[in-house]
Parts: sequence; C-alpha cells; structure tokens
Amino acid sequence: MLVAWKYRPRNTFIQRLDPRTRLIFLFCVIFGVSIPEIWDYRIVLPLFLVSLTLYLMARIAWKDVKRVWTYILILVVFIVGLNALLSARGGPSSVTNIVSPVIFTVPLKIPFTQLGWDIPVTVSKIWFSFNQMFRMLTMTLLAIPIPYTIDPNIYGTAFRQMGASDKVSFTMDLAFRFLPTFARDFSITMDAQRARGYELESMEGGIFSRIRRLAPLIIPVVMQSTVTGEEVIDAMDLRAFGTNRRTWLKDLKYAPRDYLILGLGIFIFVGCCVLRWGFGVGGYFVPDFFTNLFL
Amino acid sequence: MNDKSTWEFGTRQVVYGAIGAALYGVLSWVTNIFPLPAAGNITFRPAVAVLIFFGVAYGPWVGLLAGFIGNTLGDALSGWGFYWHWSLGSGIMGLVAGLVMTQISDFRAKDQIIKAAIYGLVGIIAGMLFASLMEKVVGGIDIKTALIGYFVPATIGNVVVVGILLPVLMIAFAAVASRRGR
Amino acid sequence: MSTHPLVIENLTFKYRTRPENAIENISLELKQGELLLIAGASGCGKSTLARCINGLIPRSYRGERRGKVLLHGKDVADLQIAEVAQTVGSLLQDPERQIVASNVFNEVAFGPENLGLPRGEIVERVDQALKRLNIEYLRDRETFNLSGGEKQKVALAGVLTMNPSILLLDEPLASLDPASAHEALEVFRSLADEGKTIVLIEHRVEDAIAIKPDRLLYMEGGKIQYLGAIDNLPKEIDYTQVKLPATWVVQRVKELNQAAETPTPLAVEERGEPLVVFEDVDFRYDEELPFVLKDVNLKIYAGDLIAVLGPNGAGKSTLVKHAIGLLKPTSGRVLVEGKDTRKMSVAQIARALGYVFQSPTHMLYAPTVREELEFGPKNLKYDSAEISKFVNESLSSVNLEEFVEYPPLALSFGQQKRTTIAAVLAMRSKILVMDEPTAGQDFANYTHFMNALCQPSDGAQSILSANFAATLFITHDVDLAVTYANRALVFGDKRIIADGKPQDVLKDTELLLKYRIRPTSLLKLNLDLLPKTGKFLPAEALAAYAS
Repeated sequence: MLVAWKYRPRNTFIQRLDPRTRLIFLFCVIFGVSIPEIWDYRIVLPLFLVSLTLYLMARIAWKDVKRVWTYILILVVFIVGLNALLSARGGPSSVTNIVSPVIFTVPLKIPFTQLGWDIPVTVSKIWFSFNQMFRMLTMTLLAIPIPYTIDPNIYGTAFRQMGASDKVSFTMDLAFRFLPTFARDFSITMDAQRARGYELESMEGGIFSRIRRLAPLIIPVVMQSTVTGEEVIDAMDLRAFGTNRRTWLKDLKYAPRDYLILGLGIFIFVGCCVLRWGFGVGGYFVPDFFTNLFL
Repeated sequence: MNDKSTWEFGTRQVVYGAIGAALYGVLSWVTNIFPLPAAGNITFRPAVAVLIFFGVAYGPWVGLLAGFIGNTLGDALSGWGFYWHWSLGSGIMGLVAGLVMTQISDFRAKDQIIKAAIYGLVGIIAGMLFASLMEKVVGGIDIKTALIGYFVPATIGNVVVVGILLPVLMIAFAAVASRRGR
Repeated sequence: MSTHPLVIENLTFKYRTRPENAIENISLELKQGELLLIAGASGCGKSTLARCINGLIPRSYRGERRGKVLLHGKDVADLQIAEVAQTVGSLLQDPERQIVASNVFNEVAFGPENLGLPRGEIVERVDQALKRLNIEYLRDRETFNLSGGEKQKVALAGVLTMNPSILLLDEPLASLDPASAHEALEVFRSLADEGKTIVLIEHRVEDAIAIKPDRLLYMEGGKIQYLGAIDNLPKEIDYTQVKLPATWVVQRVKELNQAAETPTPLAVEERGEPLVVFEDVDFRYDEELPFVLKDVNLKIYAGDLIAVLGPNGAGKSTLVKHAIGLLKPTSGRVLVEGKDTRKMSVAQIARALGYVFQSPTHMLYAPTVREELEFGPKNLKYDSAEISKFVNESLSSVNLEEFVEYPPLALSFGQQKRTTIAAVLAMRSKILVMDEPTAGQDFANYTHFMNALCQPSDGAQSILSANFAATLFITHDVDLAVTYANRALVFGDKRIIADGKPQDVLKDTELLLKYRIRPTSLLKLNLDLLPKTGKFLPAEALAAYAS
C-alpha cells in the first residue's frame, strides 16, 4: 500500500497559479453563489461555464477522474432528486415558494399500506432541480482539480502566507511527512496479521462484528504512532521548533496572472452580492419559456 | 505525562495533530477505496474512531487539526477534491471530543470511557450538523434533505464506528501509556 | 570558570514518576575535539544523561535535578532552548523519528528555519552540511524513500546546520546494517578531528572502538563504573552487558576463571523430505519493475536453524514472504509441505509456517496476552478445547504464564518479543521464520532472548528444538549466525550466493565484504581457532581454546 499523490507536474496555466489564488477563487465562487442565494439561471449558467473552462484548462486526464465523476454525479442526482421529493412545492423554503402548475403526482406510499404522501411534481420543481444541479457542479468543477494540481509540498507554506500561524502551517507539512509512513505501517501490520490467519476479505458476521474485526489492523498502527510522537516532539524541540518566528524557505509571490484570477473571483463575489441585494436581481424565478414548454 | 491543560498549543499538539491527521487521512483513503458494506448511503468510516481517540487523548487543538487536515488529506488522496465544510465538520468532531481530555485520567476505567464516548457522540453530532447545514447553504437544499441526505446517515455510521472502536483504542492506550515514564 | 565545551558536576536526576534516581553523582569534563564513548545496558542511565546534556531535562521531563551541566561555562538549565540547540546537536536513536520533513532539503533546513535565519543563509548552511557529509546527491530526494544509512546522514546534516560545538549521538547505530554503521562511525571520527566535541552513546562497544574514542564512560545502575582510556581492557566493564570484542571477552573469562559451558550444537537430523522448497523462483512486483528475486533455489529441512545474511534491501524479506505466501512467485514455485503456495491461502500456510515480524508493535493489539495468543488459532478455526491447551503450552514455553491476563502492549520490549513467538507457537506451526529477531533490543537483552530460544537449559530442549522442526531467521548480525545457526545463507544480487554450514560459508571474507557483511572479531577468532574447536562457538566458550 503505497501512497500515490494525485498531483503531477503539468505545464498549464492553472498549475502556474499561486495555490493561494486557487483557494481564494474557490471561496469567492462558493460564497458568491451561496451567501446572496443566487438562483438566476442567467448568473448560474455563465459561472458554470467559467468553472468548466478552468477545469478543462487544468488538463487532468479523464481516466484519472472517471471514478470520482461517476461517484459525484450519482451523489448530485441523488441529493437533487431527494430534495425535489422532500420539499413540497418547489425547492427550499422561501426561494421557491411559487405557485406553479403541477405536471404530475408521484404517490410515495409505504408498500401495502395507505401511509405516505402524494408528491406533486411542478414545473417550478423541475426548473429548480436543473438550476441546483448546475450550481453544485459549478463548485465541484473547482473543488475536484485541487489535489491533482497543487503540489502537496506547498500546502504548509500556502497556509502560512494566508495568515495561519507557524505551528498550524507546520502541522500540515508534518502530516504530509507521516502519511506514507503510516500507509506502510498499515500494510506491514496487514501482512503480520495475515500470517496469523487473519482475513479481511472474508469477514463473517454482521456489520458490527466486521467493524470490531478491524481492531487487529488499527490498534497496532495507532498505538505505535502514539509512541513515535513522543520522540518526534523531542526531536523538534531539540532543533528549536517554536522558539522563534520561523523562516519558510519557499516564498510564494503573486504574479500578474494571479491578480487576473483573483480579480475575477472578487468580481464574481462582489457582483453577486450587489446584483442580489442592490438591484434585487439573481433570485429564483421560472422563466416563461420553460413554463410554456409544459402548457 | 505532562500536566494537561485544555487549550495549550505547543510542539506536542503540532506533532499529535499531524500524526492524527495522517492516520485519519490514510484510513479514510483506504475505506474510500474499499468501503465497508452498509445500508443506503450510510458510510462507516473507521477513521472517525481514530480521530475521536486523538481528541480524547490529546485535546481539542489536536482534534481540530487532525480532523480538518486529515479529512482534506483523505479527500485529496482519493482524488475527490477539496470540500472545506466537510473538513471543518471533521475538525469540529475532534475538537468537541477533545474537550473531555482533562477529565480522563484512566483510559481503562469504564465510567471514563463512557464519558469520552459521550463527548465523541456530541462531537459527531455537532460536526456532522455543521457540515450538513453548510451543504444546505452551499447546495441550496431543503433542511429536510440536508438532514435525511447527509446528517442522519453520516451520524449513524460514525456513531456506530466510534461506539465499537473507541473503547478498544482507549484500553490499548492505557497499556501503552503505562510503559512511558514521562 | 572552565571553558571546556561540556562540564558535568555531581549530576543526579530522579524522574517524577519513579522512586529511584536515574543517574547519580555524574561528573566529567570534555575538551574540544574529544570523542567520548558512553556504554552500558538499557536502564543504566545513559539516555537520562543524554537528556540532561541536551536540555530536555529539565524542560520536557519533570523530576529532581541536582548538580550542574555546563555548556561552555553556562548551565544548560539557564539557557534558552534555541541557544542549547545551537550548542548541542542531538542525533536520536531512530532517524525515522527525527526526520520531520518530506524532502531532504527541507529536512536539513528545519533547524535554521526555526531560528528564523534569512533564506540565503539557510540555503548556504544546508548546502554546506550536505557537502560536508558527501550527500549532495540526496538534496532533492523524498525522505521516505531513503535507506536507513541515508536517513541517518540526512538527520545528521540537519543537526550540523545548527553549527553545534557538541554532538550528542544516542545509539546512532541501532537501525543500521554493519556496513552503514561503519561508515557512520568514520564520519563521527572525522567530525571530532575537525574540532567538534562528541558524546557517542552506544552499547556496540566492539564497533565503536574501531574509531578510537578518546575515553570510555561505562555506566551501571545510574553510576559511573569506569571513566578513562580504552587502550587496556578496563576490568569494570561487564562483558554480558555491552558488546565487547571477542578477544576481550576471552581474556576476561580467563582472568575470572569462569568455566563456560560449551553449548551442545543442535543435532542435524537425517535429511528426510524438505519442509519448504523454492524451485527456480523469480519475482517482481510489476512487469515494469526489475526483478527482486532471480533463480532462487532453496530447500529447508527438519533440524535446520538457518541464518539469512545479506545487505539491507537485497530482498531477504521478499524471500521469506514467499515462504508464508504473502507473495507468490512470478515464475517458478514455492512448496510448503509439498503443496504449491499458489494454491493455498496465507491462513492455510500459517498452520505449517509461522512468521514473526521484526517489530512486535506491528502485530500486538489484544487487551490480554491470552486473547493475543488465541487470535491465530481462532483464525485457523481450531476447536476451543485445543486452543486453550495450545495457548497455555506456548505461554509456558516462553515463560510468560504470569502475564497471561496482562495487556501485551504494557509488557517490556523483550517480553513483547517473546509474546510474538508464543503467538506463533499457539498456532502449532512447524517452521518458525523470524525477521531480525534482535532488532530494537540491546546486547544484554538480545543475548538473553536468543539463548532462551536456541540453547537447551537444565537438560531440557531449547524452545526452538522442542517446538519447531526448523527455524529460519533474517539478520545482519554475523555473530548471530556464528553463535546460533547450524546453516547460513548469504543473500545478495537477488539470489542465494552461498549456502552451507556457518563455518564453511563465513570463512570467505572477500565474499562477505562484497555483500556488505562485515566480519566481526568473534568470527575472526572462531576462524583462527577452528582447527582446534571444529565448530563455531560463542566468545565465552572460546576461552578454553585460546592461548
């Protein structure tokens, strides 16, 4: 069991960006859409296209992300579908409290009983679900590439230069340092227990006993790590950790391309807020052309 | 062991925060690839028991860092991306569990294990509630969807795992700690 | 006031958690450029002394400290930790636990970064340190993928960047193979010649005296037993506690006139059917990767006690993992009791062959020793009456009956090691395979452990011969092969280079050196006396033959 980072060096615009830029942009979009509750397709759709463009510019091979996308699409469809079933008229609360024509009704009954609900499927609900799906994908398109395109060795420095303390930032780096060690320890322990007849694959019994049967795998590694820690503390103290303000060898500097993307991020965030709260634009509505499709 | 103070933040917390994060990350990654079978969308993540244990043993800062960084690492290793609210939710789980640290003197004592498990339970509820409510804000879903789609399954899975594995970890730790002379 | 780099005056320390003093009335002075060797068994107080010198006592470890530890005239307790760190550079036992960064450059830079030095100066210091140790080629490597010897050098470079005047090296050879250990020692010597004051803590006195330390400090029970030159053999040193050259041991045994028992060698049984057979085994992890094993042929018979020697990373562990079925050959086959391992699960093979991993901490998990020992037999579906019988018998074989309800994780390292042997015994495996059985134990402890396993006592059979048809252990300690094995294998270049009786295999010094196996004083003395003894013997027993 070897830890394989998803990160690969690639000669792309995206990977030349400062990691801070990437994170700040991600937050600008997430909060720009969610805090002022943007549901207007005329804003959601362009944002989706911006995310999609940046995603494609990262040039991540499809085979690397196939599994992830499959999983995420299933989750998004499940959540959006669940949401449509659970929220009676349209979508969440006030955003979609719109009287809307009912197209058909889904009888949701517990089998062989009369208990349950009739779920009306309205035009508003369908439109809302579309919007919601694109909104979620807008954010996912920005979230997925991060582990593929940011060098793990730079996280600590990036956090430090975004204002986290020396100690918190170094915790990040130290965690990266230990990750392959513990992955190796797990595989050694797995081998050691298999040599004693332990078989993870063919575990009998219900879920409770299966979880209990993980103890021989987890306990040795975790307990050894608690012992290791005591020595690591000494080793770090002996090299003056925490006595001064640290120098971080790597120094991140924003380049013009970073200002460009940061500017775009701030424009999106501020733009969403101003449109919604200043001009009352960006809230949820069902456009006439869509309603007309069902009439 | 050193005198415990809940909010101390020094080399010790950095080291155990990092170790907890690495363990949480590796274990989440392993169970992301080979998930334990479960009903519906409940996921059992044994890593959560390790996180709660690190909180209980080393305090709230360690729990917060191990949860936040560990979840980020797990998602990164699995190639899923970066979902800050779930990372922070994990951090909250560890942090709340860590509030019990100063009350635990004997990791073998039944009443103290129960106390630790209760803090763990509260931590899980707080952390998963935070993440689910953030999902409501970010994803624009209904409160019912947030609870049924995210909160309930995640909480059930985590509570089961912690209920089974936390006592085992604490009892093992009591034995290890008895060997140490610090 | 003395200007010596290190002066210790009447130092006594008692840990808060323990009733007795860990060290008592230690006094010594070290000059610039002096190399002091500190030796003693576990628990003699040498680690406590080290913590007093590098300031962890009184900072991180609580207790009562009396006396003084002066660094260039200032007491370590009055200095800032950052000042201490720039005066005393500490290299800890396990470089794996000293390394805190993912890549070499960041690791070596860690100390100066913490001091908040300017970037340019840090880079300069790092490059200097790497150059000094001739490891510039490691600059951009990941620390995880380094070998043990490389890790140690990187850790040392990380200490040197702090420009310390004193180097404190705590058991620096523990995790190295003999050839890397020798290289490390030469580096320490040259650093002393350049003017660093060096405190070297090591129980492998035999290896350490090769670099001619200026003085030796021998400790027992927290007190100084001997402090002085090492040209003539100091009487105060107990040869059962630290590893001394074989000639010293022989001399001491003669002086004391102790009649050492000559151990009866294990009888080699008639060679019946082999228990394990490797037939033309090739192995690689992946088609794109190079072979790890190539053309390996090996037969293990009842009565064999085999030592597998060879450099680290040569594939010794890969070899034995094939015997237990954790790995299956890429081509060729491995037979255990006549059956192909490809057609057996690891659990099925475990009934025939038990594998004890290097570190007990990799497998111990249960709340009691009993449950720990029941784990294997339960997995193998033995019936419960049998299980409790096997568990009790295996406990009494390794003398752990009194600990049956004890948590294994609370036992001492030596007891844990015996628990792992008992865990294999309880599965009733016929063949025992051990990976580095002495790793992590000091000389006195591992001698005790190996004697208990291999040597008959009071007319009864040894643990091994009473319970196992054959035993195989991997080691990089030639003396283990000399003292305990009746068959030796040299493994290198992906294949078995030599296989035979220890006295036949180990006499080829050139071959040994080629595969990074360093002949020891015990081996040399045994080879000299072989015409008289006819077989290899432990140092004490050689006294009867040496003139």
